[in-house]
Amino acid sequence: MRKLALALAVLAGAGCGGPAGGGDSDDHPTVFGASSLTDVLPKIDPDATYNFAGSDDLAAQIQQGAPADVFAAASPKYPDELYGDGKVDKPVVFATNKLVLIVPKANPAGIHSVNDLRGRDVKLVVGAAGVPVGDYTRTLLDDMGATDVLDQVVSEEDDVKGVVGKVALGEADAGFVYVTDVEPVAEKVTAIQLPTSAQAQIRYEIAVVESAPHHDAAHAFVEEVLGADGRSALSAAGFGLP
Amino acid sequence: MDALHIDLARALRAFRLELTLDVDGLVALAGPSGAGKTTVLRTIAGLARPDSGRVALGDDVWFDSESRLDLPPERRSVGLVFQDYALFPHMTVAENVAFGGGSGTAALLERFGIGELAKIRPGELSGGERQRVALARALARDPGVLLLDEPLAALDSHTRARVRGELRGLLAGLEIPALVVTHSFEDAAALTDRIGVLVEGRLIQGGSAAELVAMPSSPFVADFTGSNLLPGNAHATGDGLTEVVLSDGSLIVSTDDLTGEVGAVIHPWEVGIARAMPLDSMQNHFHGAVESLVPVANRVRVRVGPLTAEITAESAARLSLAPGEQVVASFKASGTRLIPLA
Amino acid sequence: MRRRPFDVLLAVSVGLVLAFLLLPLLALFLRIAPRDLLSQLTSEVAVDALVVSLKTSLIAHAAVLLVGTPAAYLLATRRFRGRSLMLTLVELPLVLPPAVAGIALFAAFGRAGLLGDTLDAAGISIPFTQTAVVFAVVFVSSPFYVRLGVSAFEAVDPRLLEASRTLGAGPSRTFFRVALPLAGGGLSAASALAFARGLGEFGATIMFAGSLQGVTQTLPLAIYAQLDLDFDVALALGAFLVVVSVAVLLTVKLLPSWTRFTSISLGPSARFDSS
Repeated sequence: MRKLALALAVLAGAGCGGPAGGGDSDDHPTVFGASSLTDVLPKIDPDATYNFAGSDDLAAQIQQGAPADVFAAASPKYPDELYGDGKVDKPVVFATNKLVLIVPKANPAGIHSVNDLRGRDVKLVVGAAGVPVGDYTRTLLDDMGATDVLDQVVSEEDDVKGVVGKVALGEADAGFVYVTDVEPVAEKVTAIQLPTSAQAQIRYEIAVVESAPHHDAAHAFVEEVLGADGRSALSAAGFGLP
Repeated sequence: MDALHIDLARALRAFRLELTLDVDGLVALAGPSGAGKTTVLRTIAGLARPDSGRVALGDDVWFDSESRLDLPPERRSVGLVFQDYALFPHMTVAENVAFGGGSGTAALLERFGIGELAKIRPGELSGGERQRVALARALARDPGVLLLDEPLAALDSHTRARVRGELRGLLAGLEIPALVVTHSFEDAAALTDRIGVLVEGRLIQGGSAAELVAMPSSPFVADFTGSNLLPGNAHATGDGLTEVVLSDGSLIVSTDDLTGEVGAVIHPWEVGIARAMPLDSMQNHFHGAVESLVPVANRVRVRVGPLTAEITAESAARLSLAPGEQVVASFKASGTRLIPLA
Repeated sequence: MRRRPFDVLLAVSVGLVLAFLLLPLLALFLRIAPRDLLSQLTSEVAVDALVVSLKTSLIAHAAVLLVGTPAAYLLATRRFRGRSLMLTLVELPLVLPPAVAGIALFAAFGRAGLLGDTLDAAGISIPFTQTAVVFAVVFVSSPFYVRLGVSAFEAVDPRLLEASRTLGAGPSRTFFRVALPLAGGGLSAASALAFARGLGEFGATIMFAGSLQGVTQTLPLAIYAQLDLDFDVALALGAFLVVVSVAVLLTVKLLPSWTRFTSISLGPSARFDSS
């Protein structure tokens, strides 16, 4: 699905340009959001059009000229890059998050801590390098002096939902995801807390895309997210607030 | 020579095929299309299964419904020549012939006169050549019986007559029984010694070609063998003859003893054509115009009204026959056979 | 000859189709210089992806050919109850979205799947392994091969097979010496299509086998992963996939065409018999 979105976005951006007309009078923005925001953003604005994927994929799409109005990423890295290229307005931090280790409810490999990941034949799933959750995971493990655990990785996913999915299916033994990803699959997984000292600084940034077809709607969206309703929704979902 | 014994019954779409036949020489199964002839061949070869019956070559039983024996085709000693020859298009002539095994490929090719074609693919052969390859291929594995499905049907008329003669020679030289299936009486007569007429799944008459022509037991056989058939009503006259009233009202006499609905069978070559009424012993005369003249080999078939006469080409020339001319067709009472029609 | 409006319309349609299909491919190759292409292809991630793809595709394809060919022959030449149902079932993976195929594979062969306990008892674990990639590729490409293979065998004149039997060849000899050579052209085309499909498989693979460089990351998975990391490598890999696909298609076209041998021309031939 995301591959299709990317292909279409590239075609649209390279050839046809943005949608004609409409412009500032339209109410619904197109929001490109990190996949960890899949559940919470629609609660803040149910009418917007969403495209959820790994923040790195979304950044690439916007680089290619995809018709996004708002970019909400799970890491400052990509919005800052795009800002440097003049593709988005100045990004603003709107939420924080924490990593957590999840295992299937049945916990077939008997994982109760990061240390247990070193066991034999443990199937660990993480985000790929370059995907925010993947980078955060590596930072965390580095802090804990546990990078050898990465030898147990059987799959590197392109977004956090891929990690969640495989653990929830019961096919992976463990995976590193955001704490906000646990609630939607609470029945299928158990979350293991990670030492706060090792947690990387996970900051979510949001920015209006420079060439946004719906400028007014885009700004309105950002204001909602940053406003009281947005903050309470984020908080309820388990995000931290700046 | 072991004889092929066939005894089979099988329900076909429109009727039931029931046949008992012994093949111990050159035999033909002749009849109209759809009579079940090809089914018989396929059954013998093992490509189709009868509902019940027994097929055996001498002591080798190939199919027996009672003992539930049904040998697959490759275990039956048959050579089957398909109607369109079914030569393997991706193999050369030599490879085709050698397919069934046996070591005498070169000799076979020579015997059938196709030695020069050994390295050629079937797609480049003429119809007659393909038939010879098919025959050689079927005989290569030294089968106990040879089956031919409409062997001359795939040939154009130009080739058919010549190939018919060649095939006759080939078949005559065989030492195994052969069963030829055909819809053409002429082909059956030319190629075999005994003919069984198969109509709607039944054998309605069997015998030599001459017997079938001389004494057809039914209108179908008469028509099939090319004899004239005139339907009418017969009653005895006082003087030992039978008078037949034909459908157009005219009268003919016959020496046969039959009454009621009959068909008068008259052979074309026993019908004489003359310009005027002949003063001889022929009792039956028919006056009419020549409708058509068809040369057949060195004879001519003359159609006058419902009758077809077959006279020599010289006679036709002598009479200066032409369509539309008035003639008299005559035939003897003794040459008028009667068969029951009711 | 005056050009009629319909002819023009047809020409325009063909032109549009060709342009639409070829433009992205052309653009791909214009974007990257051949020299860069080659250097990118020697990068570690590229080489790993090439090796994984080649290995898994070839093993999968061997399995598809070995099992699919007799299966296609059976479906083509035997009439039995439930035949049309079987033909439909074989086509099912064709209409399944690849991600669903991935989940289905989990449901069958995963740890929590139908055969999970059996496999576990035998000490076998399939998900996230190269075997899983092979499974995914076989699952999505075999319907192509079997379906087209059935057509290829059906195109062989059944009387040729019967003739073979009457000449003493049993079912297996008939298959190898008559059916297979005559269906060869169609089977090759089927094989090429199935191989290309398997090589490009993405959804089922990324679900069931996951993505790990050097282990399960095939060419398509590597392209996707590299899109935002190193666009040039992604481009190079994409261009390479295009080249491989074209090569596969060309091979099929250039193979000796046996298709003209599937039937025999009936009736008199043009060559007059002189003997």
